[in-house]
Amino acid sequence: MKRRELLRAGVLASAAAALPRTPALAQNTAPSPELTPAQSGVDASKDLAAPGWKPLFLDAHQNETLIVLSDLILPATDTPGAKEALVNRYIDLVLAAETPETQRAFLNSLGYLDGESMRRYQAAFRYLKREDQDDLLHALAYPRANSGWTGEAGGPDVGHGHFEQLKQRIITAYYSSQTGERELGWDGAFAHGSYEGCNHPEGSHK
Amino acid sequence: MSGNYAQQDPLQQPYDAIVVGSGATGGWAAKQLAEAGLRVALLEAGRAISPKEFTEHMPSYKLRYRDHSPEIVRTRPVQKQCYACMEYNYEWFVNDLENPYSTPAGKPFTWQRLRVLGGRSLVWGRQSYRLSDADFKAASRDGYGDDWPISYADLAPYYDIVERYVGISGAAEGNEMLPDGRFLPPMKMSCGEVLLRERVKAKFGYTVTIGRAAVLTQNYNGRLACHYCGPCERGCMTFSYFSSPFTTVKDAVASGKCTLITNAVVSHVDMDNALNKAQGVTYVDRLTRQVKEVRGKAVILCAQALESTRILLNSSTREYPKGLANSSGALGHYLMDHVVGGGASGRLPDFKTLPDANEPQRPNGIYIPRFRNTPSGNKHSRFIRGYGYQGGAGAEFNMSAEGYGASFKKAVKEGIYGIGLGGFGESLARWDNYVEIDTNLKDAWGIPALHIVMAHGDNEVALMEDAAATAAEMLESAGAKDIRVQANVEMPGMAIHELGTARMGADPKKAVLNPFNQTHDVKNLFVMDGASFVSSACQNPTLTMMAITVRACDQLIDRFHKNDI
Ligand SMILES: Cc1cc2nc3c(=O)[nH]c(=O)nc-3n(C[C@H](O)[C@H](O)[C@H](O)COP(=O)(O)OP(=O)(O)OC[C@H]3O[C@@H](n4cnc5c(N)ncnc54)[C@H](O)[C@@H]3O)c2cc1C
Ligand code: SF4
Repeated sequence: MKRRELLRAGVLASAAAALPRTPALAQNTAPSPELTPAQSGVDASKDLAAPGWKPLFLDAHQNETLIVLSDLILPATDTPGAKEALVNRYIDLVLAAETPETQRAFLNSLGYLDGESMRRYQAAFRYLKREDQDDLLHALAYPRANSGWTGEAGGPDVGHGHFEQLKQRIITAYYSSQTGERELGWDGAFAHGSYEGCNHPEGSHK
Repeated sequence: MSGNYAQQDPLQQPYDAIVVGSGATGGWAAKQLAEAGLRVALLEAGRAISPKEFTEHMPSYKLRYRDHSPEIVRTRPVQKQCYACMEYNYEWFVNDLENPYSTPAGKPFTWQRLRVLGGRSLVWGRQSYRLSDADFKAASRDGYGDDWPISYADLAPYYDIVERYVGISGAAEGNEMLPDGRFLPPMKMSCGEVLLRERVKAKFGYTVTIGRAAVLTQNYNGRLACHYCGPCERGCMTFSYFSSPFTTVKDAVASGKCTLITNAVVSHVDMDNALNKAQGVTYVDRLTRQVKEVRGKAVILCAQALESTRILLNSSTREYPKGLANSSGALGHYLMDHVVGGGASGRLPDFKTLPDANEPQRPNGIYIPRFRNTPSGNKHSRFIRGYGYQGGAGAEFNMSAEGYGASFKKAVKEGIYGIGLGGFGESLARWDNYVEIDTNLKDAWGIPALHIVMAHGDNEVALMEDAAATAAEMLESAGAKDIRVQANVEMPGMAIHELGTARMGADPKKAVLNPFNQTHDVKNLFVMDGASFVSSACQNPTLTMMAITVRACDQLIDRFHKNDI
């Protein structure tokens, strides 16, 4: 740990020292309007937490359903879960900018969840008891080992397909958030010394 | 028409040399010529660039859309097919709405390019490999196509010059298909990669080596060693990987002999028909749309293969009705791009998986040089030439873990030890793969755009099938489990290694350029980028392009001093 810290400090100092040597041709350039927001230094990380947030794309029921679902897929444990990471807000933002087909596909998958919930429990997913939500998700979360016994061998596992669509969106949203980066253990620094690779003696891996 | 520009810079014209394009090759041309004392104008279609816009240290949660920006979808539907075009940096890539091209129905081609000072050297993958005589003289061995008019011995000294300046980290292997270079210390391999190297050597007798990368492993040539932050395609505040604006272009400008003109979209070469000489180029100012001219004693196109050829095709005259310097008819033809899509991936069960978010990120992988149809090996029954692999192995977060809930969260962090190999195959030079001007399509500056016609053939398909099956066998030899085989042939352009369309050759009837990148038809006109390639080989081509540029400049400087231009 100590050695790492030292290395990091060294890198930062030398990186800073490198900057004044920026070539003149670049320094003389007036700031260009043709930059991405990131290139102009925009930090959008607080946007989703803005007070008075309202969904852009989802309706209130869909939004609530997404909050419940995301927090079941990535619950708070000893670390925060999807709800606290505002996963629903990020997904809503991205969907608002998506093509109509992608938007429809998402709503379809969310609708499938409610449809199954209605069929089995006569209530929408977000109103179910925690155990019922769990039972339903469990039935969808794992691919059917072999559907031969239903007589529809080889047919697509529709429910699992919808579940995977929703899960992919949720885990992407969670692990790309600041909460998610922390969950993975990232310390927020960009440099951690040099890549050491395999340190075993020659001939250890044969 | 020329007045506007002359007012800006009255003393300089005519320049000794006009270089079009400031990327990997144009940067070298400007540097070599300016440092030799020639007065150079370097014309670049894009804007200048500043290290202040580098974002390699910005976490993705600071991006509004965390890399799903609708702006990319709207303005860069083609460019977003490139893995390096992101919400961080998409403004470096061309706006597809302003820079159209066309393809025939059923033959897609993805043309991924940057228009900014430095071109694609800003985002390239930095893999840098020499070609060998097995490549330059392949036609003599298997009877397909044409040999290059130059050999390894002609280029070796120039590979040396480029490598010494750029700084290529790598390991010498003594492999017949992959000549060793002047390397900085190699990056390390992971445990899984070491195991793969040992097993592949033992079972197949093939070489697995660390990638040869234009990334500094020690402070070198005024630049700092890499600090392993990872995402080089967003820029590098320590200039640790090679990009032209902060190396070659900087040197050219510092020499006092090079005038850099940005936002200069060159439309065509201007000819003095009586003398059969190029007298300069015309460009459109990207921002004001004003048309301007620059005069020079030599014109050197380094705008990347397809753009250089487009400029020549748009420079037709009465004497050259099918494109300037195209008496051979070969201009536009023999377009190549490495074939990709064949490979395999899996996991190594015997290694400690726990991934570490704070582990230094190595901006490099491993490489397996071509082992099919080598001079010392057997001829393959189903295809000629061959492919190399890029790949890697290491612990990763297991985002594809099954299920959900607390157990899923835990499984993600427990990780898997992944391993994968992807083939890059030779793309055979074929007349039928070509570009021409689409007379119905213009870019935003009124310059006629390209129609690109390319499809991979049976040989490329066979290469990827073999690359897939062999990769699976190699992974199996290393004890990999859950092996997934990929035997696709991705659309042309996906390797981002466009080559050919103004090939070099000794015979003016068959080739556009002579062996020193001078057009056979017009003595003071040169193309010094990948357009000159005769065959594609299977190695990443940019190192070879740069060596060819430096060699061609050497010859040009020589002739300049002898007043032979
Ligand atoms: C994501 C990515 C990864 C890659 N990885 C590798 C790799 O690992 N190894 C490898 O060998 N290669 C790699 N390449 C390819 C490599 O980037 C190119 O081979 C190399 O940059 C080509 O050099 P160039 O000088 O011909 O063109 P570029 O570097 O593309 O530069 C061309 C320049 O010309 C300018 N220009 C174009 N048209 C005009 C005009 N009409 N007027 C004025 N200026 C013009 C452009 O704006 C640009 O600045 C990669 C490319 C990409 C995009
Ligand atoms: S990984 Fe190395 S070369 Fe790439 S951006 Fe970071 S410091 Fe620069």
